[in-house]
Amino acid sequence: MTDLAAAEKLLDNTTASGTLRLRGLTKEFGNGADKVVAVDAIDLDIEPGEFVTLLGPSGCGKTTTLRMIAGFEDPSGGQVTLDDVNMIDTPPNKRPMAMVFQSYALFPHLKVRDNVAYGLKIRRTPSAKLREEVDLALESMNLSALANRAPNQLSGGQQQRVALARAMVMKPRVLLFDEPLSNLDAKLRERMRIEIRTLQRHLGITSVYVTHDQAEAMSMSDRIVVMNGGRVEQAASPDIIYRQPASVFVADFIGRANFLDVEKETSTQQGRARVKVLGHSVDVPAHPDAPAAEDVVLLLRPESIRLKAVDTRAGGGLGGHEGRVLFSVFYGDHVEYEVETEHGTITAVVADPNVDAIHREGDDVEVSFNAERAWLLPRTRQPG
Amino acid sequence: MTDILEAPAPLEPPSVAAPVKQSRRKRVRQDPVTITLIVVVVAILFFLVLLPLGKTLSTAFSDKGLATLSKMFTSPVNRKILLNTVVLGLLVGTIGTGVGFLLAYAQARLQWRGKKFVHLLALIPIVSPPFAVATAIITLFGRGGIISKQLLGLNWNVYGLGGLTVVLALSFFPIAYLNLLGMLRSLDPALDEASESLGASKWQVFLTVTLPMLIPGFAASFLLLFVEAIADLANPIVLGGDFTVLASRAYIAIIGEYNLGAGAAYSLVLLVPALLVFIVQRYWSTRSSAVSVTGKPTGTIKLNTSNVARVPVLIAVGLVMALIITIYGTVILGGFVRILGINNEFTLDNYRYLFGGIGSDAIITTTLLALIATPIAGVMGTLIAWLVVRKLRRAAGVMDFLGMLGLAVPGTVLGIGYAIAYNSPVDGWGLRFLPALAGGGAILGGAMAIVMVYIARSIPAGLRTGIAALQQIDPAIDEASTSLGGSGLTTFRKVTIPLIRPALLAGLTYAFARSMTTISAIIFITTPQTRIMTSQILSEVEAGRFGNAFAYCTILIAIVLTVIGLLTLAVRDRPDTPMPTPGT
Repeated sequence: MTDLAAAEKLLDNTTASGTLRLRGLTKEFGNGADKVVAVDAIDLDIEPGEFVTLLGPSGCGKTTTLRMIAGFEDPSGGQVTLDDVNMIDTPPNKRPMAMVFQSYALFPHLKVRDNVAYGLKIRRTPSAKLREEVDLALESMNLSALANRAPNQLSGGQQQRVALARAMVMKPRVLLFDEPLSNLDAKLRERMRIEIRTLQRHLGITSVYVTHDQAEAMSMSDRIVVMNGGRVEQAASPDIIYRQPASVFVADFIGRANFLDVEKETSTQQGRARVKVLGHSVDVPAHPDAPAAEDVVLLLRPESIRLKAVDTRAGGGLGGHEGRVLFSVFYGDHVEYEVETEHGTITAVVADPNVDAIHREGDDVEVSFNAERAWLLPRTRQPG
Repeated sequence: MTDILEAPAPLEPPSVAAPVKQSRRKRVRQDPVTITLIVVVVAILFFLVLLPLGKTLSTAFSDKGLATLSKMFTSPVNRKILLNTVVLGLLVGTIGTGVGFLLAYAQARLQWRGKKFVHLLALIPIVSPPFAVATAIITLFGRGGIISKQLLGLNWNVYGLGGLTVVLALSFFPIAYLNLLGMLRSLDPALDEASESLGASKWQVFLTVTLPMLIPGFAASFLLLFVEAIADLANPIVLGGDFTVLASRAYIAIIGEYNLGAGAAYSLVLLVPALLVFIVQRYWSTRSSAVSVTGKPTGTIKLNTSNVARVPVLIAVGLVMALIITIYGTVILGGFVRILGINNEFTLDNYRYLFGGIGSDAIITTTLLALIATPIAGVMGTLIAWLVVRKLRRAAGVMDFLGMLGLAVPGTVLGIGYAIAYNSPVDGWGLRFLPALAGGGAILGGAMAIVMVYIARSIPAGLRTGIAALQQIDPAIDEASTSLGGSGLTTFRKVTIPLIRPALLAGLTYAFARSMTTISAIIFITTPQTRIMTSQILSEVEAGRFGNAFAYCTILIAIVLTVIGLLTLAVRDRPDTPMPTPGT
């Protein structure tokens, strides 16, 4: 739907994408006993052209961080620098950034075209250039036909495009997104994800994106910053976040997770450990802190678990790695099981199931997993 | 607040040897334009309200003032005046709130025809001059009154507490009516439905849900009416007779005894309850979220069609409406006859007298001054509202209070303050800040001070509607403008003003009506060069020329209605959103 050629022409390689650095960025609300630390000394480096998502549950400080970058909140401490220039004393309207709001925040009294032209008019862009750039912005968002409509005559997706065009036309060095897709329906949201991501990657604008939707974060980001209680739990690429989470919190927040209480036997080598799980001694990848930790848990994603029917008529002894199916739910594209094991109830997901081979509730099954997909974690986050 | 210096150690030393000024640790980084605006607004409010108010206070505590103040509770005469004032306030507060509720309930909850008409009738007292009701009541129910004497043959004494209560309750009940109507309409119908589904009858729903939910509204209306009643100056002068209240006592002290100190002292006693009520109301409104409004009503209330409820309520509503029609009919008719009730011969002499003499002068001057003051007050009110809602954090409450002060203080207090503060030039530190603004010797014949009073008393209307409208607007819209490079002022001009214009105009029509009909605040500063209709009406009434007074009142009502009509048309003709493009 987006017209990349028009978008490219609009930006015309004139826009240098910025390097954004956060140093000890802190925000406290209230005083004395009421004091709440919303953002607790965050450090973050964002490279030019990078798409970074701040992800976390509500109240984790992600929106406050974004608003401090934009200048709408004054930090209680720390720095925001863009291309090595401190932005803290720059008012929001002088920062070379543009924000896309959750509510879109289109000016209801202005037509689509005037909404997009708003920032350029403030910048006193000569009218010929203004018209040209607004046209390009509208074209790039496929809005040319709607230019003379009022915002309230547009659908949610169209309003979203106007908001994006209005931000893009400013040629910002950093684009800021505050949960921009949360008001759209599921289908449209998926399409807009791809559009925003394609556009961003193509134009290479540094982007900071706030969301609480992990699918959005996983599908769009170069890097995900998982936040919790005002602190960064982990900042890494989506695959690292998913496969090698830094903490139980991250593992639990992103995707679905089984945490198995296991006994650590030995640390075999750097980044690996041998643990006793489901009756076997298994060599698994481990978090750097795991070998030293007193208490560890083994992360197993539901899709990494294999179930095999046990032939009970054969009367074979149960080797201790068997489980019993408690629930079995067929979703069409996958089957989801709850299996009772010696480590407690674990969830397993089998994709593209053979209908005849679906285990029934009460069946005994042999439980196994791909050891390379497991991940050993300290139970509690190590200080520092 | 953590200073940048004390910030937790970064992972790597900031590569930025950036020009970080470490001494800057401002909490709120306002842009310079906003700061300038704040300074200008506060300075204007200082001259509009604070200085006159301060002068009233200092005069009240001067030797002459203290002499009166010290006797306020000891002298039997003063004690009687105080008691009169309180009794009048209590009666008007109770009756006015009751009448207001009756109408509001009938409008919001009962099924009947003619609601729109009754609604408009109920609002007439808001736009009518202060003496219209009082003069009409004297004509109808006075010693030779058309109804009391000629129709019923009774010898009523309309002067005093009884007459005053009726007149004031009729004049101020629309405040309670609008207040309670708004509340009734914003009550969540689901509450009524829940109560009904739990087995309550209509009457029980009324007693156990509707009434309790409205208690804050009753309290607020009562307090507002109480303050309006005790601060009213016009009606006690005309209708008080021997029944003296604080406001009329202050008037006598200044106009009759030339004792500014005593006048200030009496009005000071009015100031205390007025400010208290104002503060209590603000406290209430800040917690009112728990009280009534659930934002989005989930359904529509089913109107009550039971005759048990309708017959008594509608009869009472009918009586009130009949009284209002009779009164304003008397006002209009009275302008066209020699002496209504005594010599009912048709004449245009009253109007001839007005338009021929100083009357036309007063009509033009008053309208002109009110028209000058209204837009200024509108801009000021909106600016303050914008600062309060969007720009200020901790100081927002103070700014809001300052803006509201012009209406929160009784008109008498403000008027006396103007007379004291601006009859002579304002000097300080060897500098002359302002020449004399009020009184006969002042610049522009004292018109400047009158415009200032109008502005001071109109700002709150713009401020309240502005705040209400701004709170409806998503702050992200302001931030979007900022994010696109708009400074505070640009955002205000290009985004805020266009969005709140309809609400603002509505507030301004009210402000204009208020300016045109105000008396207590300007009665002390009118001059022979600058004649104001309301004070002209007072002198006609005092001289017993009721015909002229009626004619004045009719013209005044006509002007107010015309301006309101024009403003309404202006709003309607300018659609806020562009028309849809055909064919898309």
